[in-house]
Amino acid sequence: MIGIIGAGPAGLAAAKVAAEAGAEVIVLDSAPRPGGQYWRHRDDVQGYKSHRAGGYFDSVIGSKSVTYMHGAQVWSAVRSKGSITLNYLHEGSEKTITVEKLILTTGAYDRSIPFAGWELPGSMTPGAAQALLKGHGVIAGKKILVSGTGPFLLPVAVGLSEAGADVLGIVEAHSPLRWLRSPLALILNPQKALELLYYLRKIRKYSLKVSFGRAVIGFNGKTATLSKVKSNLESKGEVTQIGCDVVAAGWGFNPDVTLGGILGCDQRVDRDGSVIFKVDKNQHSSAANIWIAGEATGIGGADLALAEGEIAARSALNDSIPFSLKFKRFRLQLFATALQRSYTVGNGWQGWIKPETKICRCEEVSHAEICQSVTELSAQDSRTSKLFTRAGMGLCQGRVCSRNVSEIIAGESGCKVTDQERISYSNRPIAAPISLGVLADGINPQ
Amino acid sequence: MSTSAKREVTFTFNGETFKGVEGQSIAAALMATGVRELRKTRFDEEPRLIFCGIGICFDCVVVVNGVANQRACLVEIAEGAKIESQK
Repeated sequence: MIGIIGAGPAGLAAAKVAAEAGAEVIVLDSAPRPGGQYWRHRDDVQGYKSHRAGGYFDSVIGSKSVTYMHGAQVWSAVRSKGSITLNYLHEGSEKTITVEKLILTTGAYDRSIPFAGWELPGSMTPGAAQALLKGHGVIAGKKILVSGTGPFLLPVAVGLSEAGADVLGIVEAHSPLRWLRSPLALILNPQKALELLYYLRKIRKYSLKVSFGRAVIGFNGKTATLSKVKSNLESKGEVTQIGCDVVAAGWGFNPDVTLGGILGCDQRVDRDGSVIFKVDKNQHSSAANIWIAGEATGIGGADLALAEGEIAARSALNDSIPFSLKFKRFRLQLFATALQRSYTVGNGWQGWIKPETKICRCEEVSHAEICQSVTELSAQDSRTSKLFTRAGMGLCQGRVCSRNVSEIIAGESGCKVTDQERISYSNRPIAAPISLGVLADGINPQ
Repeated sequence: MSTSAKREVTFTFNGETFKGVEGQSIAAALMATGVRELRKTRFDEEPRLIFCGIGICFDCVVVVNGVANQRACLVEIAEGAKIESQK
């Protein structure tokens, strides 16, 4: 049996290939509905070419050989000779299943960088605004400002506008001219121009204001402070205020590498500083019988995830991989590289924050406390600072702050964050919270 | 979301009665009625709402029927559920 973890674009593409081949497959997804963070659910899907999602849902849910299990959160996994055991939480109890082959498509979540007031109600990620809207039919606030960097801001702002939200605008930190540095990626991906055109039309339809070279550097719950920024995000001054009750700020994505890390799959640091898996041309990881596809092998969007998911499943089925599919992945990877070059996140944000700004939201550790752990207690890495301050030791286990804590410490101590430190803060021994009570109840074999 | 055919769900938050739509998360149902604070933080007693919205950040944790650390952005509202702010 083939196990697939995650039912976003990559997982669904893999499951579709396996379903068409009649292979026995189980898809474990933590969400209540298929689609992952980007597509979410068919009824709610809106956006460029998002009708594709329905076809994938049908082929996976309608297939006799595919078991699709929603609300199943895999919290740990064990690799043994010839098989992989997955331990997951489902309907309040712990269950286990053993598969021969595994395709990991665990996706990514929004990367956040701190600014004064980012702790306050109303400050959230674009993913949160999108999840509220698409998953629950709720508009996040009365006046919404979408900010940060990257193309994901477009579907979020447009989706909110389509739902009737008052979107004050999109505040993009970088200039679109940066795309001119990647001409080959643009030439080989003309379909992306169509996607851009789709969003430009919507932007005009809803009279959305788009500004470039600016960022939200402060928020007090009622008013956002915007500043012109350099390409490294350093503030250039020229500060303006805008009244809004929601700031949805997103700075790219953090791949979720936890499960593959538990299984011992080799990782590396990508160009944008995020930690991803090493995979070969067949999307096969360093561990036997484990393939990895989608954002966890490099942030690249839904189209690349679909191609990678298909390649992974074909390889797992010992099927040949057509040249056209390999070329599709190649050109979309070029595009992903161009995205990383166009929408970099420099460390200039460290100048926006105030001494009292909380960097670790869970343990309420301020910027001043983290700096003190370096200047007064001689911490040289995030691990040491963590022990002094508890930054990154709260409920989220550093998922939100650890990268920012490392960057601050590197900035304070005048060094660079090492790859080893990046890999270390991106991994955790347990992939989802599990109560001792549930653990003690024992495992109910599937 | 196609909410027309879905059932209304009644629950309480800090003793006050709220109504939401079946399938909505606790956070979404409360935010739909204008709630802007799910809890106050342990040390500085600052207000918190949702942040990541997808179960990563644990900013929105609430007590559901006596069980603490439940993520309001993921846990769906249930008829008669007693939800309280976490200290």
